[in-house]
Order: sequence, then structure tokens, then C-alpha cells
Amino acid sequence: MNTEERKLADLLHRITPEPPRRVTVEQVAYRLVSEPKLGRQTRGRESAAPRPRRRGPLFSRALAPVMAAAAVVVIAGAGAGIAVLANSHHTPPASAGGPASSASSSASASSSPTQTASSTQQTTPATGLAGAPWGAELIGHQALVQGSLISADGSLYAIGNTSTLDRINPATGAVVASVPYNMPVWNPPVVVGNTVWEVSSYNGGNIVLQGYDARTLARTSSLLVPAIGGVSIGGQGVLTSGPDGNLYVAAGETVAVVNPAIPQEIHRIQVLAGKTSSVAVSPDGSKLYVGTGSSTSFRLVVFNLPSDTIANESTLTSGGAGGNLVATSGGVWGTTGSGHSEWVWFAPNGNLARAVQVGQGAGGGLSSFPSYSGGVVWVGGTGDVVCASPATGQVLAKTDIPADHGVAQYFASPVVSAGQAYSYYQTDASQQTGLVRMTPPAACTGNVSS
Amino acid sequence: MDTLTGVEHLAEPDGFRDFVEARSSALLRSGWLLTGDWPSAEDLVQTALAATWPRWSSLRRQDAPELYVRKIMVNTFLRWRQRRWTGEIATGRLPETQAHDVFAQVDARQSLLAALDRLPARQRAVVVLRYFADQTESQTAEAMGCSVGAVKSHASKALARLRDAPGLAELMTGGVAS
Repeated sequence: MNTEERKLADLLHRITPEPPRRVTVEQVAYRLVSEPKLGRQTRGRESAAPRPRRRGPLFSRALAPVMAAAAVVVIAGAGAGIAVLANSHHTPPASAGGPASSASSSASASSSPTQTASSTQQTTPATGLAGAPWGAELIGHQALVQGSLISADGSLYAIGNTSTLDRINPATGAVVASVPYNMPVWNPPVVVGNTVWEVSSYNGGNIVLQGYDARTLARTSSLLVPAIGGVSIGGQGVLTSGPDGNLYVAAGETVAVVNPAIPQEIHRIQVLAGKTSSVAVSPDGSKLYVGTGSSTSFRLVVFNLPSDTIANESTLTSGGAGGNLVATSGGVWGTTGSGHSEWVWFAPNGNLARAVQVGQGAGGGLSSFPSYSGGVVWVGGTGDVVCASPATGQVLAKTDIPADHGVAQYFASPVVSAGQAYSYYQTDASQQTGLVRMTPPAACTGNVSS
Repeated sequence: MDTLTGVEHLAEPDGFRDFVEARSSALLRSGWLLTGDWPSAEDLVQTALAATWPRWSSLRRQDAPELYVRKIMVNTFLRWRQRRWTGEIATGRLPETQAHDVFAQVDARQSLLAALDRLPARQRAVVVLRYFADQTESQTAEAMGCSVGAVKSHASKALARLRDAPGLAELMTGGVAS
């Protein structure tokens, strides 16, 4: 090797990270059983296993190991033998049966949506979860990205762990439409009118937004938004919508305002406080909340709209990085954390100096994001599930989450559809994951001053 | 209610577990360099190990299990790229690097992956095998099913591209702490 080659080798060894977890013999055994051709193929044709669609950078936060969900592995003595019991009911949404729908002409073949025929929908009889908060019952077995579940116009939308954007029927828990989607930065879907918007690329100086038909998930729009100064690498909640029907995008050192009907960028707000990582717009459209910061601090800049003047700036003094902003009438909500824990704060009028923690949040590297749905703010996690007033941040009701055989269970922040609350649930102890339906108390029905 | 679709008893080959425990970290890191994300890296390594399992005894006798696993990883990766290649090339400005902090480390990895994403699949495979897995040119050629000359050619072209990759030249001179 010459000097340049040695430097490259040194670089590769120096900055290639250690894996978050190791591969186990049990995982390999499962692969061998579930894909027997792996062990039969001839030289040079060792595997025809299709590559999984590339997952987003935050996929690892969604701790729903496919292995755990899809198989029970029993070790019958090291070196002696392994019995693998494969079960079949945890089919990923993307591979659910049903004919491909007729996508719009703008949808490429690689992103054609799948309409799940009613006869093959993966409906699951509701299963009560013993001791679960607010009478939660499991109605689906989808593996979803934590915090990606939203509710709009009688449907639920979420990002599937198998790199899909899914529409879910809340009545049955079944995925009724699905389209391949790789999440480049954490952001739940944003619904404006009849279009579901997501960020399809968030890299360097370019952001690409894509719109999908809200019913069929056929791709209908694509828009390039330049990121002045390059995007933040810590983006968490970079796309939102305002009551004016416009999209707001954290775009480098600016926030871009996009009219999704055209679709075109119509305005650009200079932030001048570093790279923007999260945005939210107040329900009345008078305030724009912009998060910036590093891995150890989080800064919030509040703009008056439409003047674009700065109303307030403050910094979160506890925790680390922040983001996932949600605006309500009384202020703004967001997340921060330390180590493997994350929790939600509420900042009255967008002033972080007065921020208070809401709910216990999540431990074990799981996520706790605020959701504003059904007139109240919801906060889930591994400790408790709470609903809180959007005006004051006051907790209106809470329920503790019990452990499952000594292992923490996870309930994501609920969303409301047709008067019912829905949450994403997972437990490693009994290897269950999926959509749950809850019955929160009357205090959470949104009949509060907001 | 779960439906059991298969019950199968597999004899675990002698020494296979020790190999997996000892080498899975290094194999996963190679997989990460090839694919750019951990889930795909895990899938790649599991696929390669599953294909290695039935041949373990003979591979062990030849003292070549790791070479075989890496060969399968590379060929599987190349096949994935053939099937899934979308024409997308990572471009654009990269974040500024700041030495000796967590962000710098993240930025460095991002720069590295962006640079590797710009390489054609075979050049990327050569970079990983030669410069990360420390395989010789002939071992790399054997793994990829090509000539030593082709390996040299791929390596030369890859180095030329990496030389021009934004941010990577600085990293190669040692700008980021490990």
C-alpha cells in the first residue's frame, strides 16, 4: 500500500462505528430455516434474498426486532442443536397481499402504492392486554417507527419499520394502503388537504418533499427545497403545516414556506441562530417556533408571523439535544433527553426558561414525542401515558404503564380518530408489537379551555 | 393465535458460535461500510453466515471461513445493488466538521458514507475488502470473482474519486479524533 492507501485504511478503521448489537447464532439459524435456499445455493450464487428497503437513520430507535417478532428460537444446548419455531402472523405491511393499485402517472414503479384488498386485510381480533393503560387492546401487529403515527380525516398514517408509508383503517387496525418510503430524517407524515407529505431526502444542501394521495398513497407531487447552509444533522420534526395550509420546512439556516397546492416555495425566513432542526406553527398561525442546537443544548427561536420578527429566544438548560416541536395555544412542546432516556417538555409562550417536564417519558432508548390530537396533548413512553391541556400544559389525566414480566412496555403518544385513541405498542418481554386502541377518561376528550 | 409453520432442528456446527461471537462485530462494520446503515448490514451478515453454516466443516478445515463469509457478503451486496440501484447519487454540501467533539465524529461518518455512496458498487466493495478488511489484492480478486488487475483498477479509480469527495481529504489527514 502507498501512503494514500494507508491513510484511507486508517480512516476506515478510525471512524467506522461499532455496531449497536451483534449478530447471534440464533438469528442465523432463523434465517436458514426461513430462507432454506440460503443453504443450498451454489458457489457464486450464495443468496437470492432480496435486500430490505433502506431504512431511515432513526430506524434503530424503533426497537421492534423483526427476529423477536417473527420467531421463537429455542436453544437446545450450545453446540448440540437449535430448534426454530417460525410463526407467520407478523407479516410486514409492505408484503401484505392485495393487488397493486393503479398509481398516478407521476408515481414511479418503485414507489407504486399497494392497495390492500378487503378480503386480505390483516385484520386482527382485538386482544386485551392485561393491566394495560386505559384498557388498551391490540388491534394490529404492524411494526411502526415510534412517534410516526398520526390521525387525519378518519385514517391513521404511520411509517412502517419495513420502510413504508402506510394508511391504516382505525376501525380494523389493518393497513389499507402502503407505499415504499425511506425516512431520511425523523418526521411524522403531514396531511394537508388530500395529500400526505413526507421528506424523502434530507441531505447536504437539498431537501426533497413528496406528496402522496391521502387515500391511495400514489405519489402525486415532488418538490426540491434548497437548504441554505446545509441541513442540520440533528433534525427531529423538520416538516410541519400551518393553519394557512402551507408547509414549513427546516431548511439549513432558514425555514422555507411552501404552498403545497402549487407546489412551490413562496417564502423564506432567515433564522440566524444556527441550523434549524425542528419547526412548529401555532394553531392560530401567529407564531413560528424554530429549534436549533447541538447534541448538548437546544435553542428555541419564536417568530411572529407574518412579520418574521423574533418574539423570543431561549435555551433549554437541562437535557441534551431537543426537537419534535408541537405548537398549541399556550406554547410549544418538544423533547429532550439524556443517555437512553427521553422526555417531553412544555414551554409556555415558547419560553424555555419556564419549561416543565410533562410525563415520565421513555427509557431504554425508546422515544417519547408529544402528539396534539383530539383537542389535547398526549405524551407516552415507558413510564406513563398522559393527556395534558394544550393551553396550560397541565396534566388532565395520567395512567402508569406496568412492566411486562419485569420488562418495560412501551406505549407511544396516542392520537385520536373518531373519538377513539390509538397508540403504537411494543414489548420485548412477550414479543408483541402493533397498534392498540385505548379508552382514555373523559378528562382527555378535549372539552377543556384551549 | 400464532400459527406454527415450521419446526426444524438444526445441528450447530462445532466452532460456528465462537466464530460468530468473535467476528460478527468486524463483519457488521464491513457491512455498514458497504450498505451505509445497520439494519442492512445486519441483514447482509446474517445472510452470509446462513450460507456459510452448511459448509462450515469444510471451510474450517481449509481455515477460510472468514474469507468465504466476506465473499458472500460482497457478492450479495453487489447483487442487491444491481436490483435496487435507483440512480441516486448523494450530492450536496456536507456539514462543516469540528474537531474533537461528538458532532465531528458524526459528521466524519456522514462524509465517509457520502463519499462511499458516490462510488460504483464494485469500487466500494474493493475499498472495503482491501482497506478495511485488510485483504490482499489476490484475496479481494478471489472474493469478487475478478482478476487482480481488475482489483487494482477498481482501487485506483475509487481512490481518485475519494480524493475529490467533499470533506474526505481532510479526514484522511487525521482531522477527527476516534
